[in-house]
Amino acid sequence: MARATALGLVPLFVLALLTPADVLAQTKDDTIVYALQSDVQNWDPPNSVLRESIILGYNVFDHLAARDLKTGKVGPSLAVSWKNLDDTTWEVKLRKGVKFHDGTPFTARDVKASFDRVLNPENKLTARGNHAKIKSVEVVDDLTARFHTDGPYPVFVERLTALVMQSEKVMKEKGHEWMQENPVGTGPYKLVRWQKKQEHLLVRNDDYWGPKPHFKHVRIRIIPEQATQIAELISGGVDIIKAVPPDQMDVINKSGQARTTTSPILRTAMIQLDQAGRSGPNPMQDKRVRQAANLAVDVDGIIKHVLNGLGDRVATAVNPMAFGFDPSIKPYKQDLAQAKKLLAEAGFPNGLEVGFLRTQPIVEPGLIQTSDAIVADLAKAGIRTKARMVGESGPFTNLVRDNKADPMFEFSWGYYSIFDADAIFYDVMTCNQPYSYYCNKALDDLVIQGRSTLDSKKRAEIYTRAQKLVHDDAAYLFKWGLRGVWGVANRVDYDAPRDEVDRMWAVTPRKK
Amino acid sequence: MRRYIARQLVQLVVVVLGISLLAFAILHVLGDPVLLLLPQNAGKEEFARYHRLLGLDRPLYVQYWKFLSSAVVGDFGKSWYADTPAFKLVLERMPPTIYLTFSGLFVALLIALPLGTLAALRRHSWVDSLCTAVAVAGQAMPLFWLGIMLIIVFAVRLKALPASGYGTWQHFLMPAFCLGAALAPITMRLVRSGVIEVMSMEFIKTARAKGVAEPMVVVKHALRNACIPVITVLGLQFGQLLGGAVITETVFAWPGVATLTVESIRNQDFPVVQCAVILLALIIVGVNLVVDVLVGLIDPRIRAA
Repeated sequence: MARATALGLVPLFVLALLTPADVLAQTKDDTIVYALQSDVQNWDPPNSVLRESIILGYNVFDHLAARDLKTGKVGPSLAVSWKNLDDTTWEVKLRKGVKFHDGTPFTARDVKASFDRVLNPENKLTARGNHAKIKSVEVVDDLTARFHTDGPYPVFVERLTALVMQSEKVMKEKGHEWMQENPVGTGPYKLVRWQKKQEHLLVRNDDYWGPKPHFKHVRIRIIPEQATQIAELISGGVDIIKAVPPDQMDVINKSGQARTTTSPILRTAMIQLDQAGRSGPNPMQDKRVRQAANLAVDVDGIIKHVLNGLGDRVATAVNPMAFGFDPSIKPYKQDLAQAKKLLAEAGFPNGLEVGFLRTQPIVEPGLIQTSDAIVADLAKAGIRTKARMVGESGPFTNLVRDNKADPMFEFSWGYYSIFDADAIFYDVMTCNQPYSYYCNKALDDLVIQGRSTLDSKKRAEIYTRAQKLVHDDAAYLFKWGLRGVWGVANRVDYDAPRDEVDRMWAVTPRKK
Repeated sequence: MRRYIARQLVQLVVVVLGISLLAFAILHVLGDPVLLLLPQNAGKEEFARYHRLLGLDRPLYVQYWKFLSSAVVGDFGKSWYADTPAFKLVLERMPPTIYLTFSGLFVALLIALPLGTLAALRRHSWVDSLCTAVAVAGQAMPLFWLGIMLIIVFAVRLKALPASGYGTWQHFLMPAFCLGAALAPITMRLVRSGVIEVMSMEFIKTARAKGVAEPMVVVKHALRNACIPVITVLGLQFGQLLGGAVITETVFAWPGVATLTVESIRNQDFPVVQCAVILLALIIVGVNLVVDVLVGLIDPRIRAA
């Protein structure tokens, strides 16, 4: 029995061995708590493809340019101005008096080192592809850097918001390995401690060049389960959560502890129709069938009734926030009679059956319910879908890449945070791109033209033509621009960011 | 006994080898990990480059052999995601899971031993029915649901406990209870039937005849003997417990190895998955080894056999 007792005591000892309460030199009043669903792999943003890395990066590092969330336009950050000297050269003037967290001043040499680091293929940094159009960076003087690009690079300034500025000194003296866990930025917060998969603690950078954040500390907690995040929010354990499912908005708003706030985000949802025949010969190769599909569905009704209004109807795949979006192109309106007529003309007087590859709502809220509604509408016109569900995003994307998707499949695109029509046309609608089941020489020509000039007026015209083209050709079944939902504790003020990058320095105590 | 342990150790090697092979095979049919490592718009050359870098362009048996030969010396390679050694990553996350499973085990025993004994002693009474009802309810309750309910009651409504997280003893209560509640029913049923069986045996009569007080009879003689099947089953259930830890860790944002494993599988981070699976297998096999030894200690007859 003594042995049995001892055995029973083991867990108690284990419990006793645990470290006692984590005492932090912080109070609730000067701390903001933010929740993320999963942790970052490292504190080296160019070495990660995760959105979480971008978010954390924005709080500790700065970029050369940054988006003004009110206007949506890209404006100065570490760079104060930029101009193109010719089609392939950009000159960027830097801000004076900026210091890294370790006290070294920020200069053009750091800009060059940051770009050199990401561009060098040997460094294996995953962000390399985003900047590959830059051939080289030249240091003109301490506060001037010159960029040489491979051909005209119209989204140059947009892309400046996508690379954090790291310190040349740190790269040389500490090296890659060290940088994975020790961020030395110029940003509004500094990292104090990182307990992996658990929590990041940030403290305000009191020497910050920009407006000082209100809260002295930021705790970023990793809470994988959405229901737990919501429970934490309404029990006061967390102040800001993102990606709230639409059906949970009521729970938060009725709690008296927190509220929801929404913002359009840079992601458009669609159902791709295999015009290119990548999945094999199929009815969607006929323009009339694609038009019929677009005419069959009451997209506005679905946004209103199924999504509770959390979507912005689009006429094509171009998001209303992207450069080049043309609001004068009107979306298809439901017209079942016309849809049936077109199907009959295409040789399907009795309708047709077609495969539809579906997935789980990983990035698209309410995906199952909205697609069910679309399927029902399509059936009314005579397009009967045969669904195939592949829930995990990895295998789903594999199928799409490997020409193994169905003639219809669910798809959405996040633009890599580049607010430009090119960022969706090129990747999702031109010939031979891994995620494009549409191929049209006329569109390809337009996309290439749009990429080869820096004249924004000319580019806007080109994208208007491109949007007309894909709309009239009913390239895909066009749906809507997504809206994100955030949960915010009532003790703070915070506006949902349209680029989905939560900036903790923008959080302030709620005005009574 | 020594030969017995030696035999078990040989078995252990076979089990771990088998599991590593299985994990390796399953990971490779899941698809291309590079797809998840690179941005969606990466080009074909970029893909080929990454395949070369990670050694994925080589034949499968070469990859497996390379993995195995370095794993033997504790080198599981670097995580493709975190850029740090997989072994370090897994080891860092091991303690929270071990604490959680053991405290779950402890909670299960805390519930099962008294209730099971009580049910056995008051067989067919309302106490017995009540215990059975609790057991059935416990077994039927999905862990996930129970966890969320606990959070809603104790964190949201009563504000008595932190809803999730890791660090203080308060953080332990709900996850440990949640995991323990899942294991308690089966344990309780075993204790009950064990005690019933033992109570009708001759040596109990002898003990009573000797004038040993009834509580002593139950605890020292009956429970001790009834414990043998319980310990064996708990050993077998340990794997289940780790499985339950995946859900419990997810619900309570517990930074353990169970969620790390699931996450790495989703990311197809081969080195981490391999390392975690092998270490977890080692633990399960190890626990069962300990159980066998314990049972031998408790019951000398098994030792002799």
